[in-house]
Amino acid sequence: MPPAASAGPWMRIRGLTKSFAGEVALDHADLDIEQGKVHGLVGANGAGKSTLIRCLAGVTVADEGSVTIAGEDLQKGSPRASEQAGLAFIHQELNLIPHFNALQNMLLGAPKVTRFGIIDWQRSGVAARAAAERVGIRFPLETKVSELSVAQRWLVMISKALVGEASMIAMDEPTASLSGPESEQLFAIIRDLSAQGVAILYVSHRLEEVLQLCDRITVLRDGRIVDGAERGALNKKGLVRAIIGHDIRPPDARTRFAADRSRQPIFSVRDIAWKSAVKGVSFDLYKGEVLALGGLVGAGRTELAHLVAGAARPDAGHFELDGKRLDIANEAEAVRASIALVPEERRSQGVMLQQSVGFNINISTLKKLRAIPGLPFVSDTKARRQANSLIAQLGIKTPSVDARIGGLSGGNQQKALIARWLNAGTRLLILDEPSRGVDVGAREEIHDAIRTLARSGVGILVISSDVEELTLLADRVLVMREGRVTGELTGADITEARIIELSYHDPNDEEGDIA
Amino acid sequence: MMAQAGTAAKDAPQLRKSSWKRTALIWLSRYGTIVGLVLMVVFFSANAPGIFLSRANFLNILSQASLTAIIASGLTYTLVVGEFDLSIGYVASFVGLIVTGLMAYQGFPIWLSIVCALLLGAAIGALNGVLVTKVRINAVISTLGIGTMLTGIGFTYSSFPIATGIPRAFTDISLGRLVFGLPNPVIIMVIVLIALWVILNKTDIGQKMQAVGGNLEAARLSGIRVDRIKIFAFATAGFCAALTGTLLSSLLGSGTLAAADGYLLDAFAAVFLGSATLKEGEFHITGTLVGVLILAVGFNGLSIFGAPTHFQPIFKGGILVLAVGMSALARRYAASV
Repeated sequence: MPPAASAGPWMRIRGLTKSFAGEVALDHADLDIEQGKVHGLVGANGAGKSTLIRCLAGVTVADEGSVTIAGEDLQKGSPRASEQAGLAFIHQELNLIPHFNALQNMLLGAPKVTRFGIIDWQRSGVAARAAAERVGIRFPLETKVSELSVAQRWLVMISKALVGEASMIAMDEPTASLSGPESEQLFAIIRDLSAQGVAILYVSHRLEEVLQLCDRITVLRDGRIVDGAERGALNKKGLVRAIIGHDIRPPDARTRFAADRSRQPIFSVRDIAWKSAVKGVSFDLYKGEVLALGGLVGAGRTELAHLVAGAARPDAGHFELDGKRLDIANEAEAVRASIALVPEERRSQGVMLQQSVGFNINISTLKKLRAIPGLPFVSDTKARRQANSLIAQLGIKTPSVDARIGGLSGGNQQKALIARWLNAGTRLLILDEPSRGVDVGAREEIHDAIRTLARSGVGILVISSDVEELTLLADRVLVMREGRVTGELTGADITEARIIELSYHDPNDEEGDIA
Repeated sequence: MMAQAGTAAKDAPQLRKSSWKRTALIWLSRYGTIVGLVLMVVFFSANAPGIFLSRANFLNILSQASLTAIIASGLTYTLVVGEFDLSIGYVASFVGLIVTGLMAYQGFPIWLSIVCALLLGAAIGALNGVLVTKVRINAVISTLGIGTMLTGIGFTYSSFPIATGIPRAFTDISLGRLVFGLPNPVIIMVIVLIALWVILNKTDIGQKMQAVGGNLEAARLSGIRVDRIKIFAFATAGFCAALTGTLLSSLLGSGTLAAADGYLLDAFAAVFLGSATLKEGEFHITGTLVGVLILAVGFNGLSIFGAPTHFQPIFKGGILVLAVGMSALARRYAASV
C-alpha cells in the first residue's frame, strides 16, 4: 500500500453535512486522514461520529460535501465503492457468521479458488492465513467463530479487512468487551498495522486509550468538529471539556456512602457455585450502598449477576432477600420476587425500539396502571402521569412520552430502562455495564440516577469492566478473579490501581492472552 | 434526494424539500393501502354503478369479508407476538365438521355444540402455543403438523359431508339479520374485532403481547411470562378459526371436509396487507380489517366484471406483493431522504 502519489493527505473529507428530518447530524466536517497514522475520533453520543463513519461506509448518503481518496472522489452512498476504495469498518456488533469458521468468515465476499465449482479452502485461504499471521492469530482458523472469545473475533474481523486489502480500517469501540491485556494486544496490532501503512480510524469513549494510542485526535460535538490535535497536545481534562463543553465533577472519595452493616442486609449471596464460572461466592448487600463487582472479562461476575437475576439455578448455595431464602427458576420469577436486571445489551435485551418511551417505562408496572383495580384495562391517564413523572425525575431527554425510544440517545435509553424499575417495588436492581457505549456526560447522569435509587433503599449491584466507572460509582467494590472474590474495597481504597491489582493476582498469568 | 454540493448548510429550502418528500413517502407507506381501497371502490362504482354501488352488494361484500376478518384477526395476534399459525385454515375446517357432527351424530343442542366447538378451537390453539414455547418446536413445523393431523382426524370422524340432522336454527344463525338489517356474521365480526382491538390496545395482556413481539428478551427481563402470552395469542387464533369454521358450516348448511382450508392464505394476505397500513410494518387489528376489505372488494369487483375465478388468486397474490412491497420501499426511501 504505497502512500498517495499526489501531495497532501490520503483521504480528504471536506464540508461533509448530513441532516435527518431537518436535524443536523453532521455539520460541514473537514477531516484529513493519512496512511500509517492512527486517527482518534471522540465525542458524546449523537455528536456525529457514527454519521461520519456511515457516510464513509456508503451506508448513509451525505447531503453535501465530498470525500476524496488519493485524489479520487468517493462515490456517495455506495458501500461497494467504499469497499473498493479500501475502506473497512469494524462495528461493535461484529458482523461475523457464528457457525462459520474463522477462515470462512475472513473470506466472506472475497473471491475464492474453486475446482469445478467446489471451493478449495486450502488455496483460497493463502491470503487469509497471511493476514492472520500479520495480526498474530495463534488459534486454528478452522475454529468456529461461535467458539471464539470476543477478543479473538476482533482479530478475525481485522484479518478480514486485511484480506480485502483495506487501506483504512475504522474501529468502533474496539475495547468495549476486551479485558486490559486483550486491549493491550489489540493496540500492539493497531500500531503494527499503522506502521505498515494502514490508516486507522479509532472511535472510542475510553479517553485514556485514545490519548495513548492515537497520533491525532479529532473531537466532534453537535455534528461539528470542535477540536483536533496531534498526540501530546491534548490531555484528558481538555478532551473531556471539548467533548461535553464543560468540566466534569471529579470523583470524590468523601462522598462514598458507608452502609450500616449492623442492620439486616437487603440481599445475601451464600456460597454460590455454578459450573466452572463461579466457585463459591458469598457477600451481603446493605441498604443505601452501591455495590459493584469488578474483575476481568471471564472472572465470573457476569455469570454471578445472571444467577442472581434468575437466568439459571446455581449448582450450590442460595440467595436471601430481606432475610428470606429465595428459590427462583427464571427471570420472570425473579422480577416477581422484586429482583430486576438492566442488561448489558441495551438494544437487543433492554428497549423495545419500535415502542414509545412511555410504553418502555411502564411495561413492568402495568398492574399499577389499571383504570379500575381488578379489571385488566390500562388507564392512559395514569400511564402518562407515571411516565412523565419518571422522565422528569431522571431527567430523560425526550420530545414526549409518545416519542419512539429508538430515537433517543443511548444514555437516555438507559435512563428509561432504569426508570422502568423505579415504581415497580424493586428491592434489588442489577445493572450490567450500565454506561457501556455512553458518553462521559450521560455516564454521570446515569450514575446519579443509580445513586438516587440506592439511597431510596433499593439494593444496587453494578457490574462493570470499566475500572474508572467502578471508582466513580461504587461505595464498595468486590473484585472477582476466576470465579472467586479476591478482595473487597471500600472508601478511599477504591482506586483504579487497587482494583487492577486484585484483578490480576498473578501478573505473569497467561489468562489475558487472546491469541 | 441528494443536495447539490456547494449550497450553504443552513439553506432552508433544501431541507424543506427533502423533509417534504420524506413526509409524502411516510404518508404513502401508511395510507397507501387505504388509498388503494378507496380507489378500487371509486373505480368499481364508476364502472358498474348499478351493480357494485348498491346496498345489497355492499352487504354481500361485508358478509364475505366477515368470516375472513374473524380468522385473520386471530392470526394477527400470533404475528403480534412474533410467531405465526399455519393451522388456522385446518382448524376452521375441522371445527366446522365437528360442530355439525355434534348436532347430527351426538344430538347436542345448538348452543352446546357451538360452545364445544369454540373451546376445541381455543384448545388446539393453546396446544400449538405449548408446542412452540415449551417444547420449542418451530412454529412452521408445529402448526403445520397439527393442522395436517386435524385433516386426517376430520376424515376419520366423517369421511363424507355431514348435511342431514342439522337443525334449521343453526343455518339461520348466519342467514339471519338480527340488528339493523345487517347479516349476523357482520355483527359477529364487529363484536370480535372490537373485543380483540380493546384487548390488544387497552389491557395489560395486550401491552405485554406488543412487548413480547417488540423485543422478546427485554420482555422476559421485564418480568413478563413470555410463554403464557404466546400461548394466549395462539389460543385466540384457534378460537377465531373455530368461530369462522362454525359460521361457515352454518352458511353452507353442512359440515364439509377441508371446507375452510382456503382461509389460511386469505388470512395471511389480509394480515400482511394490514401490516402495511397506518403503522410501519406492525401487525394490528385495524390494519387487518383494511386488508380483508381490500381482498373482499377486489374479489367482488372481479366477479362483477365477469373475470374468471382463477383471476382471484392472481389478484390476491399481486396486490399482496404490491402493497407490502410499496410500503417497504416507501419506508426505506423515507429513511434515506
